[in-house]
Amino acid sequence: MRSLNPACKFIGLLAATFVLASRRDPVWNLAAFVLSMAAILLARVRVRTLLLLLLPVALAALGMFFTGYRFAADGSMPVRADIFLVGGSRLWNGMLQASRVLAYAGLGYAFALTTDRIRMVRSFQRQFHVPQVFAYGLLAAWGVFPHMAQEFRRTRAAFRARGIRVLPFSPALLAPLLVKSVRWSEELSVAMESKGFSGKAVRSDFAPIRVQARDWAFLVVCCLALPAAAIWL
Amino acid sequence: MQKKTWELKDVIMMAILGVVFSAVYMAVFQGGLAISTALTPLGLSSFGFEIIYGVWFMAATLAAYIIRKPGVALITEVLASAIELLMGNSGGLTVVLTGFIQGAGAEVVFALFRYRKWNLGTMSLAGIVSAVFIFCYELYYLNYIALAPGLLIGQLAVRFVSAFVFSGLICKLAGDGLAKTGVVKSYAIGAKADIGKVYDEEE
Repeated sequence: MRSLNPACKFIGLLAATFVLASRRDPVWNLAAFVLSMAAILLARVRVRTLLLLLLPVALAALGMFFTGYRFAADGSMPVRADIFLVGGSRLWNGMLQASRVLAYAGLGYAFALTTDRIRMVRSFQRQFHVPQVFAYGLLAAWGVFPHMAQEFRRTRAAFRARGIRVLPFSPALLAPLLVKSVRWSEELSVAMESKGFSGKAVRSDFAPIRVQARDWAFLVVCCLALPAAAIWL
Repeated sequence: MQKKTWELKDVIMMAILGVVFSAVYMAVFQGGLAISTALTPLGLSSFGFEIIYGVWFMAATLAAYIIRKPGVALITEVLASAIELLMGNSGGLTVVLTGFIQGAGAEVVFALFRYRKWNLGTMSLAGIVSAVFIFCYELYYLNYIALAPGLLIGQLAVRFVSAFVFSGLICKLAGDGLAKTGVVKSYAIGAKADIGKVYDEEE
C-alpha cells in the first residue's frame, strides 16, 4: 500500500468509494472496511493510532444506525422506495447507514495513513497536472502548520499569564491567529518569489514520481473489476 | 478596479486560509460528533453535524471576501479539503470532491453578482447555495435518499441557518476585523478599509 503511486491510489480508492455508494449494500460496505483495515495494518501502522482514529468513526456509525433505523424512507418519497431500499427492513436500513460510515472512513484512512504527504502533493502535480503554483503553495502552507499550532499555544499561555480564562475556540484566541496567518502568507510569498518560485518557470524534479506496473494493476482492479463485480454479483 | 489575475501572494493566502480552516474543521468535527452522539438515542444524530455545517463553507466565503477575484472561493475550498485529506479525516477520500462541490456553490453566487457585491447578503447566499449543492450530492453519496423526507427537510433547514451564521455573519465580521487591523491592505478588501494606526511586529 505504501509503495503505490499516491495519485493512482487516490483514484482507485475513490472509485471503490463510489462503487460502494451505488451498491448500497451493508455486506459490501463491511467487506471494504475489513479490507482497508487489513491494508492499514499490513502497512505497519500502529494499532493504538488506528484504534484512536476509529473511536469517533464508531460513534458516528452508531449514530447513523439509529437515524437509518428510525427514519427509513417510506411511500411518501418522490421515487419508488424499493429501488433504494435493498432489504426494506428498518434494521437493514440502519445497517446500511452505519456500515457506509465505516466503509468510507476505512478507505479514507487506508489512503491517509499509508501516504507520505509531500509525495502525494508531488504526485498530484505530476500525474494530475496540478499547476505547480498550487503544488508549491500547498506544500508551503503545510509547512506553516506547526507554527500555527505553536502560535495558538503561545496566545493561550499569554492569556493565562494575565489571569484571563479563555475557551479553546474563543475569538480572542483565533483573531491573533488569523492576523498572523495573513502575515505569514505575505512573508512566505515574498520569500518564495525571491527564490524564484514564481510558478511560471518550468522546473525539473530530482526524483520524479512515476506510474509503475503495480499502480496500473491497482487501477484496473479498483476502476474496472470492482464496478463489474458490483453490477454482476 | 483590482487586477483579476492571480499572483503567488493570492495562492499562498488561499492555501494558508485552507490550513487554518482545515484545522478548524477537524476541531469542529469532534464537537459535532459529541452533539450527534448525544442525539443518537433519538435517531437524530445527523443533526449534530447540521448545526455546525456552515463552518465547512467558511474558507470559501472568507477568502473570496478578502481577495475578491474569480475562482478564489472554489480553489480555496478545494485546497482546504486537500489539506484535510493530508491530515487524515474520517470522511474518506471524497472530501476533495465535497470541497469542490461546496466551493462551486459559493463561486456561482459570487459570479452571479459579477464579483462586485461583497456584503452580508451575498456571503450568506454563497453559504446557502453551497449547502444546497452539497445536499444534492449527499442524497446520493450518503444514501440520504433512504431517509424520511420530513427528516431531510429538517436537516436542510438547520443547515441553512448554520450557513448563514458561520459563512455569512462570522466570516463578514472576521473579514472586516482583519481589514481594520491593516494586515490585508494589499488585498481588495483592505484597499478601501478605514485603517487606524497600524502596529507592526517590530515596533
